Amino acid sequence: MSPAPASLTTYDPLTALAAGLASLALLAWLFWPRRGLLAVWKRFRRASARVLKEDALKHLCKVEISGGSVSLTSLAGALQSSQNTAAAVIAELQDAGLIEAREGALRLTAEGRRYGLGIIRAHRIWERHLAEQTGVAEADWHELAEREEHRLSADQTEALAASLGHPTHDPHGDPIPTPDGEFVPHGGQPLGTFPVGQRVRVVHIEDEPESLYEQIVAEGIYPGQVIELTGMTNHSVGFLADGRPRQLTPVVAANISADLLARDAAIGAPPGPALPTLPPGEEGVVQLISPLCRGAERRRLLDLGVLPGTRIRAEMRSPGGDPTAYRVRDSLIALRRDQARHVHLRPAGTTA
Amino acid sequence: MNRSTTTDVDRLLQRARDLRWQVGGSLHDHMAEAIYAEAARVADRAVTRPGQQPRFDWDRTLDRIVTSRLWGFPLMLLLFASVFWITIVGANFPSRWLASLLVDTLHPALKQLAAGLGSPGWLSGLLLDGAYLATAWVVSVMLPPMAIFFPLFTMLEDFGYLPRVAFNLDRLFQRAGAHGKQSLSMMMGFGCNAAGVVATRIIDSPRERLIAMITNNFALCNGRWPTQILIASIFIGATAPPVLAGLVSAAAVVGVALFGVVLSLVTSWGLSRTVLRGAVSTFSLELPPYRPPRLLQTLYTSLIDRTLYVLWRAIVFAAPAGVVIWLVANVSFGGSSLAEHIIRWLDPVGFLIGLNGVILLAYIIAIPANEIVIPTVLMLTVLTARLTGVGEGTGVMFELEDANHTRTLLLAGGWTVLTGVNLMLFSLLHNPCSTTIYTIYRESGSVKWTVVAALLPLAMGLVATFFVAQVWRLVAGFG
Amino acid sequence: MNPTSTPPTSPACATCPVHNLAGLKRLGVDMADWDYVVALAGNPNVGKSTVFNNLTGLRQHTGNWPGKTVTRAEGGFEYAGRRHKLVDLPGTYSLLATSTDEEVARDFLLFGRPDVTIAVVDATRLERNLNLVLQVLEITERVVVCLNLLDQARRLGIEIDDRRLARDLGVPVVRTAARYGEGTQALLQAVDEVATGRAACRPRRVFEEPPVLKQALNSLVTELTRLHPDLPNPRWVAWRLLDGDQRIAEALRDGELPGPSATARQAGAAAAVRGSNS
Repeated sequence: MSPAPASLTTYDPLTALAAGLASLALLAWLFWPRRGLLAVWKRFRRASARVLKEDALKHLCKVEISGGSVSLTSLAGALQSSQNTAAAVIAELQDAGLIEAREGALRLTAEGRRYGLGIIRAHRIWERHLAEQTGVAEADWHELAEREEHRLSADQTEALAASLGHPTHDPHGDPIPTPDGEFVPHGGQPLGTFPVGQRVRVVHIEDEPESLYEQIVAEGIYPGQVIELTGMTNHSVGFLADGRPRQLTPVVAANISADLLARDAAIGAPPGPALPTLPPGEEGVVQLISPLCRGAERRRLLDLGVLPGTRIRAEMRSPGGDPTAYRVRDSLIALRRDQARHVHLRPAGTTA
Repeated sequence: MNRSTTTDVDRLLQRARDLRWQVGGSLHDHMAEAIYAEAARVADRAVTRPGQQPRFDWDRTLDRIVTSRLWGFPLMLLLFASVFWITIVGANFPSRWLASLLVDTLHPALKQLAAGLGSPGWLSGLLLDGAYLATAWVVSVMLPPMAIFFPLFTMLEDFGYLPRVAFNLDRLFQRAGAHGKQSLSMMMGFGCNAAGVVATRIIDSPRERLIAMITNNFALCNGRWPTQILIASIFIGATAPPVLAGLVSAAAVVGVALFGVVLSLVTSWGLSRTVLRGAVSTFSLELPPYRPPRLLQTLYTSLIDRTLYVLWRAIVFAAPAGVVIWLVANVSFGGSSLAEHIIRWLDPVGFLIGLNGVILLAYIIAIPANEIVIPTVLMLTVLTARLTGVGEGTGVMFELEDANHTRTLLLAGGWTVLTGVNLMLFSLLHNPCSTTIYTIYRESGSVKWTVVAALLPLAMGLVATFFVAQVWRLVAGFG
Repeated sequence: MNPTSTPPTSPACATCPVHNLAGLKRLGVDMADWDYVVALAGNPNVGKSTVFNNLTGLRQHTGNWPGKTVTRAEGGFEYAGRRHKLVDLPGTYSLLATSTDEEVARDFLLFGRPDVTIAVVDATRLERNLNLVLQVLEITERVVVCLNLLDQARRLGIEIDDRRLARDLGVPVVRTAARYGEGTQALLQAVDEVATGRAACRPRRVFEEPPVLKQALNSLVTELTRLHPDLPNPRWVAWRLLDGDQRIAEALRDGELPGPSATARQAGAAAAVRGSNS
């Protein structure tokens, strides 16, 4: 063994090892994604006075749109803070002339409404941006937008809106307030309020709280979907969506809003089997591409010529089991199961 | 006039925006359908297909074989093993020939010529021992393998086989959050990381392309193989019985290369789940029909596009590095050269990670090309150990014909088996060479990702060698 | 459609001497003082780069691998005494500017306004390639369709009625097998005829808008043509506006669209365009 240099007189491998491990642990503790000190500190900074103020305005706007009223308790709940904090926020907003207390209820002034809708606009545009222009998972959209809405300046929001082609709705189906503060509410009712047997169209999915939203996303529910209510008990709301029976607890179902449709309205024909079920060597005809396939991924499929009515043939599967190569319009294109599952085939035997 | 036009345009745009509310969000779908419907109509009228399918469909049969569960992977391994084997064996002779011409013959001749012309020693040292020698070294080590590897690879590409490899391996890369085509840029990286980074262009998804660029350095490039082989045979092979020495050292080198592949997958996994979580990702992989490769065209384009391109960049970076190497060895103050001062200063750090100051300094000044690391290490070892009778003079890089002599020299410089093992690790895990760094910058257009790509492997290397060193010394009973 | 505008593509030309291309002088990277700008568009992996190399004498890397040309490659050639600058655009499946490649290709066709666009298509996958050709025809009418990879098509027993195709699309169609230099002469002639205006291109902008969009599109087209009577591609612009394409909206606002008119260019004002895209 070569001796340690003179400057390392106190060297001892065990100590060095321990010191090395300790520094690794320290680094992990500082920078671990989401749970590290840095992440926690960032989150803490987020809960600054301005953020609280803006969140309060946003909450007031949302309640005003849905026709309810705001109390100190409900505000504290929405801000996830103590009543003391909520009271301080209210006092501050009143001083700034953004809200006023009338007949015991808190109301927005015109200025406050404009401010609040601006925040909602930034939030929804950012969600749209995440859905269309990034690869962020759907369940993360809301949380990221919650953070970004406080950072975007009005100019940045408008630039982003322009790059998205001035979208009208966020990916959950919520209308985006216009820059002038106009706002067309979606006008749906909670799913649980419709009678059994009724056909309705989903117009909105509430993205808060996250745990409930994730359950809805997992069921494959999306704005614009036509569903039929099949049963309602105290414990569950049952319905038919895309031809499959599904069940949600009433609490979750209350976060889905829908529009009444005529009783005989065409319910989206139950989609046929998904593309990955097509065995190699077999051919099928594309029925539709699920609306859950969005943004760049959807456009890529369309550009490759995967469209309703297209004949598609499974040629071979990778020895790894995924992806599978499909022959589409004389080209051989490999699709991963993740993408192919969004493509539905016409059920065997149908021609239309 | 101008003003009224502007408002007209604004009104038009406003109108378009209003209409968007009416037509809804699926405009793109509708248009795509309409265009394709028309394309199908036009194509239908113009195309006549053969009445019956040909009895034997070459493409389909070939595809069945190269992607079959049974034959897919063995065929792939066989093909790539052959490519590497032909490269290594085939490059051996021309490499030696080039080295003997450029280093052993031309270098002394030039020195003599310079002396004859009466040029001062420092000038011929700077230009000939420094710039010329570094360049000559890079050319002789780098050119032959690349001139063999790239045409072979290009031939497989021209034939249409490579997309099938991406298809076969995609599952593995998908799990790591990467694209199957990364297997190909990685393969290219075994030839040269700079070429591998350029090859990531075939990945059209932004996130996956960035991942492929950042992790390309984990593919042990052509410039690092000689280091691995030399050190493995000196230190690892020597620990085994003489009969097995060759086998053991070969296994060690392959092991390091495979470790690089594993690390590249693990790093891809980490990147795709942390910093690159939100980047856009779309998968598409088209399997083009097979085409007979054209030999001459392939040779020509791969030589021009890949080999010479990479070589030129390497030379541009190597020549100034040679000057720096010569300078640090020859500029002295306080009784010892600049190199010795730096090495003394780097020694404690080197010791902590199981290396030494010589190796660290060599990696710092030989950043332009991994090929000149070993020659620089040897020169610096002679310099610091103040050995006489070996080497070519202060600041002149050299290599020894016989591995045994190299071993004696390195042992005299205080090297141990641990130094050898950690040098192999560090040679795999350190910042990419400056050519590659520059290429990453050119290709990604981002300083941030270039810095990440440069520092991430270095940090991993420092951590890995540090822990190996401590555990090794504990087990071996240090002090 | 005038049948004489279809260039001679008789089987006789398939035997044209490959190495004796009358009137062609390959200029490599020398692109000074060109008379015409010619763009090369097409799907990935249809042999665009090979066509490019045939015409310019350059050796761009061509691989059997979609997406080799990532940035714009440029070269020059002289034919019948006229100098052409050839721009090889990245291979794309469509022109909707959803990726950088598509944006580069789209912007060049729209704002660079090439005198001729060669749309290279894969004869073995005509349907998917026409998807792009139809989009190109929406943007510019001066198009020559280069029906490439005929060697492959022959191998598969696929026959293509190029006259029928030319009639349906309204632009010249040339049969080539660029890998073997086959058809280069005919391609040059067709490009020259379109560039000099001897062959008329009357693209049938054929595809029908879906009914839901027809009204909205028509109303925008009416306003666009009123505003800019010389806009060569009002329907395409209207479609992009309706899709919220911000680049197009801005180009309209700052006058980048419609740009100098065709007549202005013929009168010699082409220099302005060249200046702006070089």
